[in-house]
Amino acid sequence: MLLRSLRLAALSLVRQPTRAILGVLGVAAVGALLFDMLLLSRGLVLSFRDLLDRVGFDVRVLASDSPAFSAPPMPDATRLGRSLSALPEVEAVVRLRFEDVEIEASSAPASGDDRPDGVPARHVAGFIGAGTTARSLWTIVEGRDLSFDAAGDPTVIVNRHVGQGLGVGPGSSVWVRGRCAAGSQAMPPVRFTVAGIADFAYDSGGASTLAGRLEDLLRVCGAGGADVADLFLVRSRVGAGADAVAARIRQAHPELHVLTNEDLVERFSRIEFSYFRQLSVVLATVTLFFGFLLIAVLLTVSVNQRLGEIAALRALGLSRARVVSGVLVESALLVGAGGALAVPLGAALSFWLDGILRAMPGVPVELRFFVFEPRALAIHAALLLVAAIGAAAYPMWIVAVLPIAATLRREVVS
Amino acid sequence: MRLRVLAAFSSAWLISAVTTAAAFRDPAILRSRDPATPGLLVSRQLLQSRHLRIGDIVQLSADPSGANPRPFRIDGGYEPTPDPARFAQAHLEARLHLPDLIGLIADPADPAQAGTVGSINVRLESPADAPAFALDVAARLPGTVARPTAAPDERNSPFVVLERFHLAIAVVTVIGSAIFLLALMVMLVDERRGTVGTLRLIGLTRQRLVLQVLAEGTAIATAGAAFGILFALGAEGFFNRFFQWRYDTALVFLRITPRVIGQSLLLAVPLGIVASLVASWTILRQPLLGLIRR
Repeated sequence: MLLRSLRLAALSLVRQPTRAILGVLGVAAVGALLFDMLLLSRGLVLSFRDLLDRVGFDVRVLASDSPAFSAPPMPDATRLGRSLSALPEVEAVVRLRFEDVEIEASSAPASGDDRPDGVPARHVAGFIGAGTTARSLWTIVEGRDLSFDAAGDPTVIVNRHVGQGLGVGPGSSVWVRGRCAAGSQAMPPVRFTVAGIADFAYDSGGASTLAGRLEDLLRVCGAGGADVADLFLVRSRVGAGADAVAARIRQAHPELHVLTNEDLVERFSRIEFSYFRQLSVVLATVTLFFGFLLIAVLLTVSVNQRLGEIAALRALGLSRARVVSGVLVESALLVGAGGALAVPLGAALSFWLDGILRAMPGVPVELRFFVFEPRALAIHAALLLVAAIGAAAYPMWIVAVLPIAATLRREVVS
Repeated sequence: MRLRVLAAFSSAWLISAVTTAAAFRDPAILRSRDPATPGLLVSRQLLQSRHLRIGDIVQLSADPSGANPRPFRIDGGYEPTPDPARFAQAHLEARLHLPDLIGLIADPADPAQAGTVGSINVRLESPADAPAFALDVAARLPGTVARPTAAPDERNSPFVVLERFHLAIAVVTVIGSAIFLLALMVMLVDERRGTVGTLRLIGLTRQRLVLQVLAEGTAIATAGAAFGILFALGAEGFFNRFFQWRYDTALVFLRITPRVIGQSLLLAVPLGIVASLVASWTILRQPLLGLIRR
């Protein structure tokens, strides 16, 4: 029965190739957009979660629920760090401090003027003052990593943007002047040796970032607020779980704000990324409706043009179920072919759209807006199936209630 | 009631005090007419979310732990200036007079802090001089950053990027619509194959029929575009109200401007006409006998 219906539907489509091709192309275009919106609806969240997990810490401790770079510092950080490390569920704790600094190559003109080629002599950069075991926050691409043991000259690692912008590399010297808290601008610049060039996990495209030891950051910013931290990254022991660690920290330090990676993802999904989620819902709904409309119109007009032919087939003995299922299969063929074409088309389109959105300032380089997951493919197929059935409903009804004798008579008379 | 000021920074004439939800758990709010108590303004969102009223006394502290709080009287509420960059975040803010803020956050052990501000807004006599003035300030005061407030059209600003993204989506939608339109026109023209044949038989030339199709396509495309614009205008209010409710903001998300209407007409009408012509041409170029199926 199904094979017969399939043959009938295929013959109907082949007989009108222009119409069929346009139908398939139309479904492919709207299906590609629908597929992209499904990738966008969870892409940021998936990518963000992956980014957090890759750094290797599953709990973050801050002074407030403000974003990490704008939260107030936590005082008495040394004692706090020891307290966190002492928890039995905790495997590692990293203390971090973020400050804005000005960095210039030691070979830059003493006046601080821009270079003759127009390249700024100074960069305003974010300085990450890190305790030990912070290495998973960056990946060394040239030179060597920070040394937390040696007590020699202060060293920093810089990202590619700073390295290229200032023309410095491993072994170069740079001057770093703090733009930290009030009064720090009076601090003299500190000379650092660049240990290496690194990619930082949370860097955005044009970000200028460098990292050094906490004690070296204090030299840049002055002793004021020496024992403070902006963020503690905590890694739970295997088997303990982030939630258990977060609960223990909240119990021990109710004044602090503790977030697991899941909390962060949920918060970003609810607030920061909600615009894209809602945009994707709106556009997915519109494109799905558009696809439904396209197929419904194509099939309805096609059926209306073939009423005489359908009545003749019924008169020859084809059952109502077979003719009706033929219309349904015709819809499924159009949507199926268009939907199959939509997946590679949508994937290609998503690269283009992702490239546009990733140019947004402040977005980490590693973050993706469109992320493929099998779930998206399954939902895409299910939605198109619903659209195919919905679009076929009215033409199926026309065929089902078609009066055979009256239609044939009308055909003959006309 | 304890209100923590967790971060205090902004321009010289106002401050934004970001507050935590935990800081408002205690509902005991004092009311005072004591003129010695400094006043502050509280954002509408903060007033509503914490059930505060004008005249209430709240405690502010620069310490995350809430230590050393100082009382402030709520003198009024305000609607925060809509900020597209922060529309998804709750505007839980307060504004203090600068001396009050400095008194709240300054470290008594560091007198230099009392004379420190986060930023200074400057109004120039000639706004056109802003870029030159910013360069001059940066050169004379190393360590400061001076920027004109009327930012140049940065090709990577979030809204320019979003505009590009929306344009890309629009391009794909238009391609889909064009295919849909073409399919529809092919079917409509196909339905009129016999009529076209009859018209040709009674003497109408191809050129005449093409002109007729052109006029018909223009009329349909114009009517369709007009309907689309009217639909968009009708939906504008709905979308804005929904998103303003969703994000508790006065921001306008959707605005159908004359430029948008012009762009839509420029795109939709020619597209409709071309679709009509392409679809009709498949019939018109056929021999007469083929049209009347002889």
